[in-house]
Amino acid sequence: MPAVGRHFISNLELTVPTNDSWTEPVPANERRVSIVSTAAVSRRGDKPFSWLAKDSRTFNKTDRDLVMTHVAVEFDRSAWQQDLNTIIPLDRLEEMAADGEIASVADEHYSFMGAADPVTMEKSARAVAAKMKQEGVNTVFLIPI
Amino acid sequence: MCGLAHYFESEGLSTILVGFVREHIEVIRPPRSLFLDFPMGRGMGKPNDPEFQKKVIRAAFELLEASSGPIIDDFPEIIPVKEGRMGYALPPQLVLSVNDIGDVDVILSEVRNEMEALRPDYATAIAARGRTTVGASGLAIEELAPFIVSFLDGEIPKSPRKGIPPIPLLKLVVEDLEAYYTETRTHRDSIDDLELMGEWFWEKTKAGRLLLLLEAVSIASENKVMLQIVEMSLMAPRFWSEGPLPGTSAAGW
Repeated sequence: MPAVGRHFISNLELTVPTNDSWTEPVPANERRVSIVSTAAVSRRGDKPFSWLAKDSRTFNKTDRDLVMTHVAVEFDRSAWQQDLNTIIPLDRLEEMAADGEIASVADEHYSFMGAADPVTMEKSARAVAAKMKQEGVNTVFLIPI
Repeated sequence: MCGLAHYFESEGLSTILVGFVREHIEVIRPPRSLFLDFPMGRGMGKPNDPEFQKKVIRAAFELLEASSGPIIDDFPEIIPVKEGRMGYALPPQLVLSVNDIGDVDVILSEVRNEMEALRPDYATAIAARGRTTVGASGLAIEELAPFIVSFLDGEIPKSPRKGIPPIPLLKLVVEDLEAYYTETRTHRDSIDDLELMGEWFWEKTKAGRLLLLLEAVSIASENKVMLQIVEMSLMAPRFWSEGPLPGTSAAGW
């Protein structure tokens, strides 16, 4: 890996959890899945993410008109430009639900700014978790950018 | 991202994470992780390849069958990257200076003509895909280049968007401009090659040259935020370069 990126990744201060967390998964045919992306995507017209945003944005499983306001440019954007499913696989999950591989796709999905420290996002993440539980979600698919 | 897994899991939700940086996964220990040896920005691997995408999802969801964790698995297929980098990187020697700016009206005219020539193919790409990612800045396509050019004299212009300061808006405008070009070409020429797209846009187009001039203005700027966007590689793609941009310390990294 080249010097600049390697130095950054190796020297990033990580918050290490004191305890491992674990929630027993439900059987596949009961899974209601919501996506959490750290690509800083949002619906067109929503407020852009700030560079170190702690908050989240919500989009519906039918939304396809999404834009990205992630601060970093070290990752490829051409893939999601071609196909949203490359980073947010809503169509794939719908197909898997139709085939019975999972129970259902949640109505609401969520995005955060991946450049920010996750510790600063705890309050927002727990608020998102509460919303997920309200709509019967039991499984969260976490996808970085 | 790894840290978020713990919050959701502790709220009674089972999580599965896919990730590109194995050393971070190993330290933060999310409950269930699938390591992907892919370029960043391609979590499901390949655009317009539903079968490959589902292969990734199924491999990730397999982890929900584990009775204890944390568990890390490796997705068996690799999508190679060039020289270990996860995205396109400008050649370190390709750096412009403010002395290269010259007549800004000529620069603007050249970029406008280039964009106009791409317009029919851009429209075709939108029609085929049913969507565009251009527009994060909220500016119209015709407004993108003039807004960037307005920074070339070293002064910070006023933001045309309420609530978004000029430099954060500038970043979004730069990304909109690049997306306009790459969305057009990936569709027009059926290309899915991030290195080729980066090389074309940043090294071959008038728009890319405009952005390298903007980078030169940023390096010379006394404005801290303008300096920050080059120090931290937040505008031009130099994160995966072999060294920091000359004239900067890369202190942010």
